[in-house]
Amino acid sequence: MTLILPLLFLLTAVSGTAVVLVRDPARQIFAIAVNGLVLAILFDALQAPDVALSELAVGAAAVPLLFLVALMAVRTRPPEEKS
Amino acid sequence: MSPPARIALLVLAGLVLLPGTGAVIAGLPPFGSTIAQYGERINAITPQVRHVANMVSAINFDLRGLDTLGEEFMLLAAITGTVVLLRGRRGEGNTERAMRRPGRAVIPRSDAVVLVCRIAGPLTALFGLYVVLHATVTPGGGFQGGVILASATLLIYLGEGYAGWRDTVRSHWLDAMEGGGALLFTLFGLAPMLTGAAFMQNVLPLGTFRDVFSGGLMLVENLGVALAVTGGFTQLFLEFMEETRAADEPDEPGEESA
Repeated sequence: MTLILPLLFLLTAVSGTAVVLVRDPARQIFAIAVNGLVLAILFDALQAPDVALSELAVGAAAVPLLFLVALMAVRTRPPEEKS
Repeated sequence: MSPPARIALLVLAGLVLLPGTGAVIAGLPPFGSTIAQYGERINAITPQVRHVANMVSAINFDLRGLDTLGEEFMLLAAITGTVVLLRGRRGEGNTERAMRRPGRAVIPRSDAVVLVCRIAGPLTALFGLYVVLHATVTPGGGFQGGVILASATLLIYLGEGYAGWRDTVRSHWLDAMEGGGALLFTLFGLAPMLTGAAFMQNVLPLGTFRDVFSGGLMLVENLGVALAVTGGFTQLFLEFMEETRAADEPDEPGEESA
């Protein structure tokens, strides 16, 4: 337990920074999903399973899916034409 | 506002807010300290007085149920606002069928994606139902289960395409689920008053500790929240996709849209 928590805090910081540093919107969505997953594991490690379940459902599934769908729908050009 | 003025405003706001923020952070209990008195008290009394194992559900749907009522209507108001905003341009007329913008590329999805979605979709829905029904026994509850159920409907979209998704999900049903869930919550909050009890007082039989049917009124309130959250989130997805697909002509029958 002593090792898991600092590791999870580090992972949270790294994945959160990655969301900002990744510039391609499609990759950014996956970065934010990974961040949500790490946060869910962190909440579970801190003995908050209810919050972890909410974070897993909203942060790692619903929000990235919504972003992905919106991004897919606004791209009217065929994929091979985009730069 | 010019950039220097903005920075000046930021510095001013920081100077005003920082002492308060610092004082609050300094006053927090240290990391890893024992749980607060309120939590200890809840842990001690809830199994006896409410017969439920999940304290969070006991607080959400019974002890502090009035707060959940507020959150319920906050969610309802937020989703109604989003729907009004997104429907604004095209008015009330929500298309019954899937529409596709002419000229948009139809990206074929691989068989693997369809297969995975057809396997994972029902399993996700089942897990969502499990989380909803076991609100008083295991971690989770109406909100978490509702969001999982809404994610399961999105898997239909990923697997079957937009046209298939719209054939499965009916917009009016979602409206009914969302409003009906909030109504169920409120009505069953008011129902105890008919027997002379207080608002949201738990008058139903409490059941046995660690049984699925424990907690009395909590089960009904939990179901209301689950209905409202499932309907609300799915409606949100639908409106977002409908908005990005303000189309002129309906989909060709049988054609798969991306």
